[in-house]
Amino acid sequence: MEKPFILHMLTTAKNLSPFDVNMAMDAGWVSALPYINVEASEVQGLVQDAIFSRSAKNLKRTGIFIGGRDTKQAMDMLKTAKRSMIPPFEVSVFADPSGAFTTAAGMVAAAEHELITKFNTTLAGKTVLALGGTGPVGQAAAVIAAQAGANVMIIGRQLEKAQHVADMCNSEFGDGKITILAGADADKAEYMKTADVVFATGAAGIELLSAELIASAPQLKVAADVNAVPPSGIAGVDAFHNGTPIQGSNSQAVGIGALAIGNIKYHTQNRLLKKMLNTDKPVYLHFEHAFEVARDYMETSR
Amino acid sequence: MQKRSILHMLDPMPNNSPFDINMAMDAGFDVLMPYNNVKLDRVYSLTQDAIFSRGPAGIKRTGLFIGGRDLGLAMDMLEACHQAMVPPFEISVFADPSGAFTTAAALVACVEQTLKIQHGKELKDCRVLVFGGTGPVGIATGIIASLAGADTTLVDHLLLDSAMDMAKSFNRRFGCTLKGECARTEQDKATLIAEVDIIFCAAKAGIQVLSSEVLKAARNLKVVGDVNAVPPLGIEGIKRTDAGAPLLNAINAPGAVAVGALAVGDIKYQLQHEMLNFMLTTDKPVYLDFRDAFNKARDIVTKK
Repeated sequence: MEKPFILHMLTTAKNLSPFDVNMAMDAGWVSALPYINVEASEVQGLVQDAIFSRSAKNLKRTGIFIGGRDTKQAMDMLKTAKRSMIPPFEVSVFADPSGAFTTAAGMVAAAEHELITKFNTTLAGKTVLALGGTGPVGQAAAVIAAQAGANVMIIGRQLEKAQHVADMCNSEFGDGKITILAGADADKAEYMKTADVVFATGAAGIELLSAELIASAPQLKVAADVNAVPPSGIAGVDAFHNGTPIQGSNSQAVGIGALAIGNIKYHTQNRLLKKMLNTDKPVYLHFEHAFEVARDYMETSR
Repeated sequence: MQKRSILHMLDPMPNNSPFDINMAMDAGFDVLMPYNNVKLDRVYSLTQDAIFSRGPAGIKRTGLFIGGRDLGLAMDMLEACHQAMVPPFEISVFADPSGAFTTAAALVACVEQTLKIQHGKELKDCRVLVFGGTGPVGIATGIIASLAGADTTLVDHLLLDSAMDMAKSFNRRFGCTLKGECARTEQDKATLIAEVDIIFCAAKAGIQVLSSEVLKAARNLKVVGDVNAVPPLGIEGIKRTDAGAPLLNAINAPGAVAVGALAVGDIKYQLQHEMLNFMLTTDKPVYLDFRDAFNKARDIVTKK
């Protein structure tokens, strides 16, 4: 008899996200077991415990998910997990802290799709602002967009913090191959003059971009907002927008709302969780893979 | 429809071991429920909560597993579970903290079998050292070996007192005759291994305890067993798959043979699987600890 699919779900927080648990079960994992308050130093022990109790064949039916809230911590844990494998005792690992990697991937893929279909261009060379971009989704979106060739700036209320986050993204997630800049929220009127794409990834219920700033942007093409709770993060973009023209934009910019992004995120996370089930060789999945899958979803589903 | 089988997994630690989770699923339990940070004084009421909600048919499909890292505490918890049963509301309980009971049982059974086949000896004829002797696997290994009649010494890598205290307290509790020693330096190790017949290595994964240089000191060595599967292995020159292969590095103990981590792991795996499965198939509730594990491990290795 085939062994049941088991997903060991690690989080640094004191609970798993029920979102991730539902997603894991629906992707076909039979059992999803929580490991909470996990510290970085415990990852190796947990991973090695998980890999040595099944045969190589049945390890294909075993996986590890890394949640939590902190992107760097999750990536570090993913790296530690990978290092802890003793082939052929090896299982797939997927990091998606706060769902940020798949959410960001969904948002960037949706924005790219609009650039391609409505503006006949790509992310390469575009100026991208990640407003409220110091959080997990903003960080991942900034890195993904930068890796796709965009010039990205993370905008935060405190310049110092934004700078710190940008530096961290460049060195930790971009391998030093990308250069994300930092900007202060107070200066965003200036930045909007050259912005092609805006991502709003701040806390729910805060308007990060006003109607005036939208109207003042001469080359804005796409504005995407992950916030599903009114008021929306970008004036004129509501949760249902999906490539919808933004009223008052003088550059014919289109909006992408939280539900459209959420839909791509859902399919991306589902596919990555399924990929872990079906892969013959163990995979280590993070924001880059999430973006590949989200892009693929955009191409094949529309 | 038959009720789904449920294993309630009690653990004094913040998290269960993924090893035990995989094993319990693979043994056929349908649903696993982790209970973490469980204190001894909660075990009684958790047990009664588990037994009173399923009726006589459901109760046969319900079990308790006790994990953690502390052998003494696990045995206390097992005892507390036992006391909490109200027949016919009674379920099987299996204690295997850190998998230590099944690992130790498999290790001792493998080494015992190898000793018998290759040297024609019994454990009761032997002097035994347990490196990593104050960790969960080491202690359980020591107790099992001592109860099987071997002259057994637990070795700590830092403190003599730890080893002596452990030995004393488990001797009192289980009626074994453990001794304690400390090996901080290569010289300490060489002195300790000079006359022994058997070495169990139950130290942390990825740590080499005995180098070839130290192994030269061994003159009576017959069998070594190592549970460390993460390179570097616990004993230089051993291979994970060794199942009675010559340990050539022990140059002054010709005939010394080795049992590696995967050989032990293979038996441990079967053993834990059978014990978990036994909980699902037994008609009468059972309470399983390292003694049951060793009996079953002996059955498994002799049938092989």
